[in-house]
Amino acid sequence: MATLTVTQNFGKGARDLEVYRSLGGYGSISSRLFDLSQFELIDLVSRSGLRGRGGAGFPTGMKWSFVPRNSGKPVYLVVNADEGEPGTFKDHVLMQEDPHRLIEGMIVCGWALGVRTAYIYVRGEFLPAIETLNAALKQAYAAGLLGKNIGGSGYSLDIYVHRGAGAYICGEETALINSLEGFKGQPRLKPPFPAVSGAFASPTCVNNVETLMALPWILEHGPEAYQALGTPKSGGTKVFSVSGDVKRPGVYEVPMGTPLMELLESPELCQGIVGELKGVIPGGSSSPVLTAEEARKANLDYEALAALKTMLGSGAVVAFNTERSAVGMLTSLTRFYAHESCGQCTPCREGTGYADRIMKTIASGKGREGDLDHMLDLAANFSYTTICPLAIADAWPIENFIGKFRPEFEAEVAKNPDRGSPRVTKDFRPGAFW
Amino acid sequence: MSHHPVHVEQPSDAEILPRLETPGVLSRVEELIRRYPVKRAALLQVLWLAQETLGWLPNVAIRWSAEKCEVSPVHAYGVSLFYTMYKKVPTGRFFLQICQNVSCHIQGAEAVIAHAEKVLGVDSHGGNTEDGLFTLLRVECLGACGNGPVLQVNDSFATDVVDGELAMPIGVGLDPERFDRIVEWCRRRAAELPEEPVRDALGDILVGTDGHPGATGASAEVQGSYAPPPPALAVTASNVEEGRTKVTWKAAPETTVLHLETRQGGGEFAEVASLSGKDKEWIGELPAGAEIRIVAETAGVRAKPSNIAKGIA
Amino acid sequence: MSNSYNKPVLPKADSKKVSIVVDGADVEVPEGTNLVEALKTIGIDTPHFCYHQDLPVAGNCRQCMVETDGPRGMGLAIACYTPVRPGMKVATDRSSEKVKTARKAVMEFLLANHPLDCPICDKAGECTLQDNYMSSGKHESRMREEIGKQYKGAPEHRHLDAKGQDRGGKHIDLGPTVILDQERCILCDRCTRFMRDVAGDEQLYIAARGDHAFITTFPGQPLQHDYDLNVTDICPVGALTGKHFRFQQRVWLLSKTETIAPDDSLGANITVEHHDGHVWRIMPRRHPDVNKSWISNATRLLYQTLSENRLTGGSFRGADVPLADAVERARELVHGARKVALVASGHLTLEDNAALLALAESLGSRAEVFGGSWLAVGAPDGIARSGDPVANRLGCTLLGISDNLSDLVRRAKEFDCLVVAGHDLWAADAERAKSLSVIPERIALSAWHDATAQASTLAVGIRAWAEVRGSMINVQGRIQRLQAAPTAPTPDLEPAWQVISRLGHLGWTSEVDAFRFAQGRIPALSGLNYRTIGSQGRILEGVAP
Repeated sequence: MATLTVTQNFGKGARDLEVYRSLGGYGSISSRLFDLSQFELIDLVSRSGLRGRGGAGFPTGMKWSFVPRNSGKPVYLVVNADEGEPGTFKDHVLMQEDPHRLIEGMIVCGWALGVRTAYIYVRGEFLPAIETLNAALKQAYAAGLLGKNIGGSGYSLDIYVHRGAGAYICGEETALINSLEGFKGQPRLKPPFPAVSGAFASPTCVNNVETLMALPWILEHGPEAYQALGTPKSGGTKVFSVSGDVKRPGVYEVPMGTPLMELLESPELCQGIVGELKGVIPGGSSSPVLTAEEARKANLDYEALAALKTMLGSGAVVAFNTERSAVGMLTSLTRFYAHESCGQCTPCREGTGYADRIMKTIASGKGREGDLDHMLDLAANFSYTTICPLAIADAWPIENFIGKFRPEFEAEVAKNPDRGSPRVTKDFRPGAFW
Repeated sequence: MSHHPVHVEQPSDAEILPRLETPGVLSRVEELIRRYPVKRAALLQVLWLAQETLGWLPNVAIRWSAEKCEVSPVHAYGVSLFYTMYKKVPTGRFFLQICQNVSCHIQGAEAVIAHAEKVLGVDSHGGNTEDGLFTLLRVECLGACGNGPVLQVNDSFATDVVDGELAMPIGVGLDPERFDRIVEWCRRRAAELPEEPVRDALGDILVGTDGHPGATGASAEVQGSYAPPPPALAVTASNVEEGRTKVTWKAAPETTVLHLETRQGGGEFAEVASLSGKDKEWIGELPAGAEIRIVAETAGVRAKPSNIAKGIA
Repeated sequence: MSNSYNKPVLPKADSKKVSIVVDGADVEVPEGTNLVEALKTIGIDTPHFCYHQDLPVAGNCRQCMVETDGPRGMGLAIACYTPVRPGMKVATDRSSEKVKTARKAVMEFLLANHPLDCPICDKAGECTLQDNYMSSGKHESRMREEIGKQYKGAPEHRHLDAKGQDRGGKHIDLGPTVILDQERCILCDRCTRFMRDVAGDEQLYIAARGDHAFITTFPGQPLQHDYDLNVTDICPVGALTGKHFRFQQRVWLLSKTETIAPDDSLGANITVEHHDGHVWRIMPRRHPDVNKSWISNATRLLYQTLSENRLTGGSFRGADVPLADAVERARELVHGARKVALVASGHLTLEDNAALLALAESLGSRAEVFGGSWLAVGAPDGIARSGDPVANRLGCTLLGISDNLSDLVRRAKEFDCLVVAGHDLWAADAERAKSLSVIPERIALSAWHDATAQASTLAVGIRAWAEVRGSMINVQGRIQRLQAAPTAPTPDLEPAWQVISRLGHLGWTSEVDAFRFAQGRIPALSGLNYRTIGSQGRILEGVAP
């Protein structure tokens, strides 16, 4: 059994404070934490090799070191639990199963950055998880683990749950901050970066649920032990959400660098593919898809997947078999990104919808020659001109599904008997639309 | 429900406001506002509260929320249309949302949606059954992809009925039979319970917190007031030439002054040099075998001392 | 979401210059400004939609892409949000294919859901989208009918056109002054930023999201604000149009005359736009220190009074007389009188008032000059009005005209002739003005058949503010020029100074003579002439109260 750093309490009823404590929980909320200065703690987290588990994989220690101290403003910690990437559901399960570990991780981070008030931004759909978190917070307050003067340390921290209301884009940290502040969840222009001027124009640290939940283990076992679990550049373990055509979909924690196929086929993990593997989306719907052949070579760490021109992302693995249509999958993805574009900047607002309408045209048998290239051209154009990466998240699936499964798309276009007719421009007249 | 605006008959102020202006709701609003340094930030939560109270969000309730959070009415209106979960139209008692996104799609979401449309006799773009029990909506990712295709009945995830309760067993997705069981469960519940109990999504008033330190009535606390300053770390000493020692260290960027202290033979530490927080090293004459440490000072507050380095003989 | 604290830093005359490299050439630009402004100073226009000098930067249209050097080499960045750094390298579309492609791509996206109805669109001719398409688009459309366009708007505003196509919200009556054509909106966020950050009254908001996001007011609530028509100026497309000008004139027919608003002592800079002898609209003219880019609705709609109720000739004891006869009779009356009261006006130019003073001088002790106003003075609104309706009040004060109308009322019986120049005393306070009726001969020089003209024994028509050249001194102590649009209802109408010059045999042939006279009275004007005052005016040292 591999070492578990985040999911070790699954199925043990750790939602209850007493059970969590009996499993060694809140062990770090002691002199072990409060004797460490902020500087040492940040240094310790840097040495653990922990990287942001939300998708971008930014080194956590470095992120914390950007938060200015003594800026004369309060510092906020905002937990990004707006897990919205199709294929990803690990944070949902993590919060349901082990809410106190998140609270403990937040106290550690809070101490490191001198946070007085922290928010957990949970996506609106996760009402059961919100209820679990609120119950856990209540217990933690009652036990003196939160509020004023935690454990006699002189340190005070308040945590509130902020319920989102249905917007994928709020997973982007500045959109999340806008949403927290009562605005539409639209990303902000950068700079200023949140570390300097985020929530309420104050220094803000936005961390993913899983990132924070790894902290108690790191504090208990030391940064070197955590780093040693993974590869030299991708330290520790990672929690993967596996869905699609596998025998046992679910949430699995494995060391960084584990081969993708081991995750999918190990009897202790997903127990194998249903049918014959056609491809795998390795890091959430926006990550470039891998063909079965590429998937067999892939290891689950940031560098190995980057070498395959895809990414670890949030660790959402969607496996699909040869019965699944790439056209259908891409149609559902372009629809999703058009639906979730926040509407702020032009290329994404107009481009994702445009690509989606072309995709629907192709899928409904009205595609024409050139449509695929048109899609690719649009995707290329909206991927580098926008404020935030949502457009890229749409462009990558378009480029990779069409790039890697092009014959399927061409067969779809071939169903249209008029596929070769040129675009009609001769009946152009004022007042017409096209 | 959707960010496509839908036309719906709007109730009057007199129908809605008395239901919102109750002591219970108002004290919840007050508590929600105290969680944030500015009232505006509570907008999403106050809209949720209004929706919990009324079952949906008529324009009157949006205007009411805007007043409570001190934003313009049109700001609250725009925000309520940006997020998909605010219901701008009333729904049936059981709001069934079926995910159609990629993981659910490849597990047969379209077939289940088609089945649901047939069973309930409504379309899947927000269709309501005539008995007022069900509203059916196809939605994007619900965040339970391991259970694809997944369904939400109001705010509960459900892919099956186990022991008479809605459940989402690990790895089990929705299929037509399970969907039928869930519909049957809903009908039975409708017969047993007169109405759905309200689920508290926003948490009770938390014990032990006074709200946000910067909220109205309290002064904002800045970081320095409740966290100690960072000390210097990793102090090392090396000989550069006869009788001269080089000391290096790591100091936090906000450090303002560094006090270099030494002692010999276990006595008291005495300050040798006072350096700027930006300095990276110090070279000077130190007696052989001296112990060296650095005390960092940030904005007048001294941190705990660093590790002790040994000067080289 | 625009960061509302991101106000653009604009170049000033005394901005420090730094050198940067643009398209391979070393150039000097003002430090700290954004690249749109910096490039403008060296003659490079960067196409943009959402950026506006007087609004917070939103950075959402993505049209102003340039390449700049960063830690990872040259990369695309939006010019409106990139500050000038000394030594930075910038590549525009003149040297970078990447920039050209990006701008063209953004243009294709903007047009993807924009109707192709320029011929019937009121903005055509001054549409930023048209201009930018010509500068950076010019692509062949790849849209076709099966793909379709996404039109946006609230369902109650949905409009199906003759071909049965859904065009989204069409001609929505937003409020008393503005119409919204939702389908043309490119969601640049300018109007909402104006209402939030300039007007300070957030009545507009972009609701919903994605390509069906739309501009809206709160349902059932009209857009209503003293400055709301400014949103029609800053709208880069034909989405927001003013009811007063919609479909009145094609904009390319209009000629422009730069002048200043006569209805407030801030003297908002405006452009009078006219065609065929009519003024069709008034537009704000940007002045960074006066009115920025804004004018109030009241100022904007002033043009409507220019063609209403005009006094085009003269009127003697209720009967119309030719203008020349009226002037001749006025001269006789003034010269035949025992004691003449001359009432100056802060609504007239410095030149007109100078003429009045010169007239008084020529009449010697027989004449006395009175000044001031009975109109109520309000508070500044912080946008484009000072609240004082007497535009040239400071000018009159500097000429030495006292605020002594009440003396005139008290001493009315001493006079047997009253000359009121461009000052509607009877409308301002009929009760007090009534006591002036004891003066047997009352001469009004007026552009309109106003209450004062009607209460006078002799009314002489003069040109209105839009039709004269001259100058006024605003509340900041800034002398600003008025220019004459060729829109006087009859060509023989003369400016007030000229009529007064005839009354006093002053022999002035142009407003320059009047200005010279004013220079003699106001030391701060010495050394100035119309050219040095220029289109942006000049602050007079030490005159502001």
